[in-house]
Amino acid sequence: MSPTTGTRPASNRTSARRARWWAEVGWRYPVALVIIAFAIFPLLYVLSAALNPRGSLAGSSALFSTFAVDNFAALGGTAYWTWFGNTLFIGGVSAVGAVLMGACGAYAFSRFRFRGRRFGLTSLLIIQMFPQTIAFVAVFLMLLAIGEVVPELGINSKLALICVYLGGALGANTFLMYGFFNSVPIEIDESAKIDGATHAQIFWRLIMPLVTPVLAVVALLAFISSFGDFILARLVLTSEENWTLAVGMYQWVSNQLTSRWGLFAAGTVLAAIPVLALFLALQRYIVGGLTSGSVKG
Amino acid sequence: MRKQLGIGALVIASGLVLAGCSAGDGDQSGGGGDGAELVIWTDAEREPAIRAAAEAFEEESGATVTLVQKNFEDLRNDFTAQVPTGEGPDITVGAHDWLGALVTAGVVDTIDLGAAAEEFEQVSLDAFTYDGQLYALPYSLETVALVQNTALVGTEAPATWDEMIQRGVDAGAERPVVINTAGETGDAYTMYGLQTSFGAPVFVQDETGSYTNEVGMSGAPGEAFATWLHENGSAGTGYLSTTIDYDINNELFNSGQAAYTVQGPWAISSFADVDVAVNPIPSAGGETAAPFVGVQGFYLSSQSDNALLANEFLVNYLATEDAQRALYEADPRIPAFSTLAEEVASDPVIAGFLASSQNGVPMPSIPEMGSVWDFWNAAETQIINGADPATTWSSMITELEGSLAG
Amino acid sequence: MTTTERAAARRERRPGTARGFSWGFVVKLLLMGIVNAFGLTVILSAYRAESWVVLGIMVALLVLVDVIYFTKRALPLKYLAPGLAFLFVFQLFTLGYTGYVAFTNYGSGHSGSMQQAVDAAFIQDEQRVPDSPAYPLTVVERAGELGFAIVVDDEVRAGTALEPLAEIDGAGTGASGAPTEVPGFTVIERAQVLTDPALQEQVVALRVPFSDDPEDGSIRTREGSTGVLYTSSLEWDEDARTITDTETGLVYAADDRGSFVADDGTRLATGWYVNVGFENFVRAFTDAKFAAPLLQVTLWTFAFSILTVLSSFGLGLLFALIFNDPRIRSRKLIRTLFILPYAFPAFMSALLWRGMLNSEFGVVNDLFFFGADINWLGDPILAKLAILWVNLWLSYPYWFLVCTGALQSLSGETLEAAKVDGAGPFRRFRSIILPLLLVSTAPLAIASFAFNFNNFTIIYMLTEGGPSIPGAPNGIGSTDILISAIYAISGVAGGTADYGLASALSIIVFVVIGVISAIAFRQTRKLEEIQ
Repeated sequence: MSPTTGTRPASNRTSARRARWWAEVGWRYPVALVIIAFAIFPLLYVLSAALNPRGSLAGSSALFSTFAVDNFAALGGTAYWTWFGNTLFIGGVSAVGAVLMGACGAYAFSRFRFRGRRFGLTSLLIIQMFPQTIAFVAVFLMLLAIGEVVPELGINSKLALICVYLGGALGANTFLMYGFFNSVPIEIDESAKIDGATHAQIFWRLIMPLVTPVLAVVALLAFISSFGDFILARLVLTSEENWTLAVGMYQWVSNQLTSRWGLFAAGTVLAAIPVLALFLALQRYIVGGLTSGSVKG
Repeated sequence: MRKQLGIGALVIASGLVLAGCSAGDGDQSGGGGDGAELVIWTDAEREPAIRAAAEAFEEESGATVTLVQKNFEDLRNDFTAQVPTGEGPDITVGAHDWLGALVTAGVVDTIDLGAAAEEFEQVSLDAFTYDGQLYALPYSLETVALVQNTALVGTEAPATWDEMIQRGVDAGAERPVVINTAGETGDAYTMYGLQTSFGAPVFVQDETGSYTNEVGMSGAPGEAFATWLHENGSAGTGYLSTTIDYDINNELFNSGQAAYTVQGPWAISSFADVDVAVNPIPSAGGETAAPFVGVQGFYLSSQSDNALLANEFLVNYLATEDAQRALYEADPRIPAFSTLAEEVASDPVIAGFLASSQNGVPMPSIPEMGSVWDFWNAAETQIINGADPATTWSSMITELEGSLAG
Repeated sequence: MTTTERAAARRERRPGTARGFSWGFVVKLLLMGIVNAFGLTVILSAYRAESWVVLGIMVALLVLVDVIYFTKRALPLKYLAPGLAFLFVFQLFTLGYTGYVAFTNYGSGHSGSMQQAVDAAFIQDEQRVPDSPAYPLTVVERAGELGFAIVVDDEVRAGTALEPLAEIDGAGTGASGAPTEVPGFTVIERAQVLTDPALQEQVVALRVPFSDDPEDGSIRTREGSTGVLYTSSLEWDEDARTITDTETGLVYAADDRGSFVADDGTRLATGWYVNVGFENFVRAFTDAKFAAPLLQVTLWTFAFSILTVLSSFGLGLLFALIFNDPRIRSRKLIRTLFILPYAFPAFMSALLWRGMLNSEFGVVNDLFFFGADINWLGDPILAKLAILWVNLWLSYPYWFLVCTGALQSLSGETLEAAKVDGAGPFRRFRSIILPLLLVSTAPLAIASFAFNFNNFTIIYMLTEGGPSIPGAPNGIGSTDILISAIYAISGVAGGTADYGLASALSIIVFVVIGVISAIAFRQTRKLEEIQ
């Protein structure tokens, strides 16, 4: 808040302050409302379809014409909650794995000077750009071969799907973390080393707590990306009790002739909750920033 | 020193864990050879019915039947990709128009129904016959027919397209007819009955009823159909519109805004709010409308490890009346099993579809059919949206012939 | 010696420090123990399953991992090893395999091996003899040779592949009518046949001649309990690689394109895939049918990726800047609501927007354009705009998140100093915030460009490639990007499948993206050096 001068009368001071508040802060709220409307508007339709026993995403513009929880109840009659559990498991483990391996990778690229460092980082990013859309034959054959040797990692295994996702862990997320790691001054490392810490101790005890913002962001991104993937999940997971939400729900609407939009909408609404919950929980870390004083060294 | 200790500890630890794992593995490897296993691919609708037939089979033969559920649209592609690797299923549910592609891929085996063949409608067996060999066990037929709102236009069938439009307009409906064009993608399948009423079949049929490679929708009849499409599209009356996709089509009919629609038996459940009557499609071009008939059945994999078991299941269990009835009850389409078909024809809706199918022709199952659909659908969409009918249609024919030749 | 080495040397001399029996070392030992145990189990299992490739890879990986973690050197590798292992096994393989397929003509009519094509030809040719009755049958065996015993006109006959059916005296039949006792042969129970895969395979392939006259056909069983007469007119000559049709006399020879072709040009339906060299790659550029539409698709792909990154980055950054002010209350709530589009699966949102953009019934036209019939998804240009708009809606939350985080890490001091110096908000943005932001986000923008270059989901769900280009093969349309066009060409969605061509195109796309990104990254390196 900027100070006002002492000579102005009180009412002028308040209105001036209010004017300044509007100019600097207040105007952001209406803008937020507009943006929220822009973001939420289509999703209101999903909610409306979810609450309509004969929900359809096409055709009618009538929002919230009926209000019934039939669709949500009907979810219990399908394998929805099994899929929910599967998705949480797969998403959670992939996120944790992606964060750990990505952080280790980012640490290595950031702190160690070795030959091929720059080239390695760029290559990782580029390799991950390979279009996997028609690689299904390749993935199938690979999992077949692995499945013969390690049945727990063959076709129709959740662990196998997690491993396929982890194949993409060293990529753009690593680069995101690399940038943040770079902003942690190297002097911290050096003083710790002088005190006798090993590289592992520096990594786990010093650096990781400092970069929690980016760890949180990457965890969220990895979770969301595995959450929304259905091409790979559909290929790897063949039996219904192993499906994720994306595969299962897509089944409900992929065959035009039997699509159950109401059910699909209800399922989507519920499925968004973990992602939002995760975001709310991680908000503190995401926007915490480097205020912990270590920066000052 | 420490390093050596470390390595020593490591070796011991690994050894212990390894011993534990091997013991576990040893136990497991003994139990593998008990019963044989049959793997069947199905989609969500048919699973309960196949499960019922499978249970009877499991009891009698002691084998286990594993049902794998997939999206219907994935079945064909995954079957073709996985069977050559040796890890595909033994049996899969499928549509007859996949047959050409499956035969060229070499992934299906012939089926010998023996005496049981007489129990099935001839058209269903013909649909699954390629080059004189039967490749699947049929179980249902489907076709589109004219579905009308009895409250608006009664139960009587209109004889021609124009008559139908007139009745719809007279009844006061917002739209006399609504036909699914699958949005911008195009739906030549639904339009086919009307197309054949102009005498323009997609391929010329030879005397046995099989399709040749000669495109039959070129020339004057095809152009007449194209012109008719144009006249009823956005440049003309607007009865045909690319804004109508499957869901919108059903919603408009169900809410009473349209008096007539062309749909299949799968859509009847979406018409819960109106009373319907089903009749053959009226002619728009003077000849009888012959819509496409699709047949569904069970294919047998050519690389199956359990061919004897699979054949036993198909011929001696699924081909019986009880199993066919169970399939019908789980997923009501027109049965291919003759006695069942007669039975269900007592339902006027099914009888209407049956009547429509009797005028109908099977969809061609040649391997190149996929590219045909692409060109065909695209051309129809363009014409409905106002493109010049003659040039669009003839360039489509040229591209089609080019693609079939090369 | 560097600082690190000097410090290490100092540490060596001190007792009880980190390299001794500290927690870290114990944990490391335990983890390595588990990894080695797992590795050894896999190796053993691979040996038993005779899966040599997996075995080889596992051995190599295990040795590498042990070396990395037990030497003092290779420090960066210690951190990179797990990620690289997963990358190698699960990512590089698919790349390699696609590369392999690109050099073949794998696709419709060429899906299996040559042996499978031969098998298919035989399957397709073998015909049941018309009016052949179904004889009750039992599988029998004599001196290691499998055979069939059937009941013909109340008498039991048995034979093997080499010996035609002959009447057997003193044979007995059971309740089902099939022979249960065949002197001179051992009866194999049907249950045994059904549960032994190797045996089952032999029984399925067995053909017992009915008599000495080949015209009569052979007995074949389909389910193991009845036998029927079949005739086959094909002969396979493995050395000459020809299939001869004894009825018509045609000789089908294996050609080098993976088909059996006769002299008169007729071809057997099923073929096999063969190596075709660079043909697929060349076809992508030279085939007239594909060249023009693919060029159009390529241009749109670039335009789409660049525009979508610019717009969503810009919008996300704008929102992040506006709402970064600590004075704003309930920022948590606001942020959560902003990223809502990101929380819903992309394919669902795309389907949703498809419904909303319907020109006649869609909400967008109804509410925002006063009911006008704007054909969002049917007009080539409008469809492109629709795609950009929906992708903007889907992607801005990601950039909002990233920029918010990035803005947090900007040093407050420099900004304060600039403010004190009198720099206005735009000046501060342009000269301080943006360059610093770009250092960490520019590579992400490049990655996002690459992701959207291959953003199959949104195109497929929203427009399926959009209004089709007149004359284009496989239904390629005006909103198709390269990856969705490749998908259409690959025939996965129906139609003739040409995986070989599709794989070649994928590789080309990958190379193009890779080169562009590599160049772009080099530019960003300069940005980093400024910092």
